[in-house]
Amino acid sequence: MSDPFSTLGLPASFDLRPDEIDRAYRDLQKVLHPDRFAGRSPQERRLGFGRAVEVNQAYRIVRNELARAEALLTLRGHAVSPDRKALPALLMEMMERREALSEARAAGDLETVRAVAEEVRSERAAACTQLSELFALEPEAGSSSVADAVIRLRYLERFLDELEAIEEDAASVP
Amino acid sequence: MAYSDKVIEHYENPRNVGTLDKEDPTVGTGLVGAPACGDVMRLQLRVNPETNIIEDAKFKTFGCGSAIASSSLATEWVKGKTVEEAMELRNTELVKELNLPPVKIHCSVLAEDAIKSAIEDYRRKQAARRAETT
Repeated sequence: MSDPFSTLGLPASFDLRPDEIDRAYRDLQKVLHPDRFAGRSPQERRLGFGRAVEVNQAYRIVRNELARAEALLTLRGHAVSPDRKALPALLMEMMERREALSEARAAGDLETVRAVAEEVRSERAAACTQLSELFALEPEAGSSSVADAVIRLRYLERFLDELEAIEEDAASVP
Repeated sequence: MAYSDKVIEHYENPRNVGTLDKEDPTVGTGLVGAPACGDVMRLQLRVNPETNIIEDAKFKTFGCGSAIASSSLATEWVKGKTVEEAMELRNTELVKELNLPPVKIHCSVLAEDAIKSAIEDYRRKQAARRAETT
């Protein structure tokens, strides 16, 4: 299978702007729209459909910073090992954050929940900037600092998923 | 994915959730994580230095149901055991008891790691104390 970057006709880089990813995706979607395959042979239609599925998958990967970083490392033959441990300092930080969040949530303290969300979002942005710098520094290497940065981003994303669920929950209460 | 009844039971009524004083020399703290899924687990043991028996165990896990159930069950199992017995706990026993599917085996590994690192922390503290008093 080809890599998600080449599927979208984009360079294999961490520094892709959302608008250029979206544009590449939309252009391909137009070409691969089922209407375009009307009157073609069943085989061609099947191929077109298969390609459209591949493009959708590639878009989901490239559009998300974490998935993009992981795809880039895999492409370079340096995928983060599933056995790699998280740094103790990161675990401590995430444990403290999560405890603060669950306490605020239990107390119905939405202001604190929002403040934590704000903090973690800006850290997520900082983690992406750091990844971009690391990728630029060592374009071919899968250094351990890149792997640690990817793991950090995973923890932050996971945290944000939960925060979003809490925020939605709170928003649905009349 | 369907969770087993035992996982759901521990998830809904987790045993021993809480915190022990990590500065206490008789308390060992293990903090472990599953980087692949962003889970973090803290497991603490209070050991009686005279008898070497684990008198209390607490945990806090932020993760999926299987991770919570694994740590909950692990704290139940080690309470009343000696440190050496607790060191023998294998994740496979948790897998069997909780009926964990293959994709969730790493959750039980996490619980085993947490117990071991809590015991190591306790032993480190005790060794440091002994070094101080001699």
